[in-house]
Amino acid sequence: MTGAGWGFLKHGVLALLLVAVVPVAAAGDRPASAWLEQLGPALNMTSYRGVFVYARGGRVHSMQVAHRYVDGMVQERLVLQDGGAGEIVRRGMDVVCVLPRQGKFRLDQVIPSGPFAQASASSLMPVNRWYRSDLVGEDRIAGYDAVIVALTARDAYRYSHRLWLEKNTGLLVKRDVGEAGGPPLEHFQFTSLEITGDIPDSELEVQTQGQVVTRSSGDTNTGQPAEAVGRMAGWQLGWRPQGFVPAVAPGTGTGQAIAFSDGIAAFSVFVEPEGAVKMPRGASRIGATTVYMRELTVAGKPFLVTVVGEVPPKTARQVADSVRVEDAQALSAGKL
Amino acid sequence: MDDRLRETLSAMMDDEADELSVRRLLSHDDQPEVLRQWQRWQQVRDLVHSGQSQMDSIDVCAGVRAVLDGHPEQARPGPAETGRPRTGRWQWPAAAMMVLALLIGFGAGAGWGPVDNALPEPLSVAQPESVPSPYGSVQVADEVAMQGLDPAQWEYMSRYLLEHAQHNSVGVGQGSVGYARLVSASGGGY
Repeated sequence: MTGAGWGFLKHGVLALLLVAVVPVAAAGDRPASAWLEQLGPALNMTSYRGVFVYARGGRVHSMQVAHRYVDGMVQERLVLQDGGAGEIVRRGMDVVCVLPRQGKFRLDQVIPSGPFAQASASSLMPVNRWYRSDLVGEDRIAGYDAVIVALTARDAYRYSHRLWLEKNTGLLVKRDVGEAGGPPLEHFQFTSLEITGDIPDSELEVQTQGQVVTRSSGDTNTGQPAEAVGRMAGWQLGWRPQGFVPAVAPGTGTGQAIAFSDGIAAFSVFVEPEGAVKMPRGASRIGATTVYMRELTVAGKPFLVTVVGEVPPKTARQVADSVRVEDAQALSAGKL
Repeated sequence: MDDRLRETLSAMMDDEADELSVRRLLSHDDQPEVLRQWQRWQQVRDLVHSGQSQMDSIDVCAGVRAVLDGHPEQARPGPAETGRPRTGRWQWPAAAMMVLALLIGFGAGAGWGPVDNALPEPLSVAQPESVPSPYGSVQVADEVAMQGLDPAQWEYMSRYLLEHAQHNSVGVGQGSVGYARLVSASGGGY
């Protein structure tokens, strides 16, 4: 579906932002925490195909997805349904991207070598310390019965979430993200879904014609994910919201980036020598994603600190402001 | 009317609905509701695309302003008396009608709302804990519109967005959402 059609649904989303409603009574026997423990494994280990829409700001996108879990390996294929043709195929630790020219991604430079974690961080994190979780009702999404788990942020440094989890598998089928008490900033939802173990190989193969870039995301020597903390070469983070711990190491090739997660939300911090491109300073927000950039001068050398994540702008700013460059020489040398 | 029927209706507006979907829509039990939804969307589309609709003559500007200001509506001169061009007068009714149409036409769930099929609810509120930061209170950051970036800046920014998408999708276990965010940020879509 394209054109004004989705445009209208998009405005429907906006309409949702304008109104409020009384919460629905909780339902289900399992506590919210049990559903949350299942969240990460379900995302990886459930096999399914479907189409989901994703809305934030004034935009709505749809993507077709096929996801299979075989012999401990995640295989997934995402096909963009809007704009130019493109797809992203994951096979365990490898990723193949075929993207249109939109966005002007030069994939040979941007596909990171960071680890494709087999297990979600969320299954290991004490989510309840940072969010109050409540079962708030039941719903039916894309033909599947789901329970609704509300995750209310316990502080102002993170957003609140509302998760719709399919009853049998725990698969995330819908999600709203926004400030506590405020309207959703972004919205994800399956519009069609089939949970099935019958996903043939053909559905997981690259089919789009275009520039294909393949990059293994494992370490070339050991095949193991790189150590996250080891990549913070030459800089330190002076402060971060409680609960956010190093999650994965972005493989920028420059070695100055790291991602943090509290099990639900994540932000990535990039510290690089200022390049030829003069970037703006300040915050930009698309839906629930904030990008905050600031300049840091150490020993006469300018560095660009960038925080990208699903956190409020003031959180991103505090994180960026807390970055300390301890070894400008090493940081500069890391720039390939 | 469920989500699928709404999608079909939406596709019909684009002249892209398949025959099977249209048949299902036409066999829906509540045809009056389908008709009302269709009419509402047509009105909204007319407003958006051509600036004309059956409700064009209704000026709700004063009423909306009064509600926003919390004051009772006051008599105001008509367009002829103000001498303002018609296009200037158009803006407010269009915006107001969009809001009304959205609330009426889409507010009843539209598949995006909560389970009670009525109105969406805000994300719940918890009393924020006071977590001290060594950096004290931080003012609201300056906002930079990504749309204002030049191509070189955007390419630079997109590298960060893609990497973050990667982290979200695999490292944090959020599956496909990370890539959806990337696509959303990079343009396209509706």
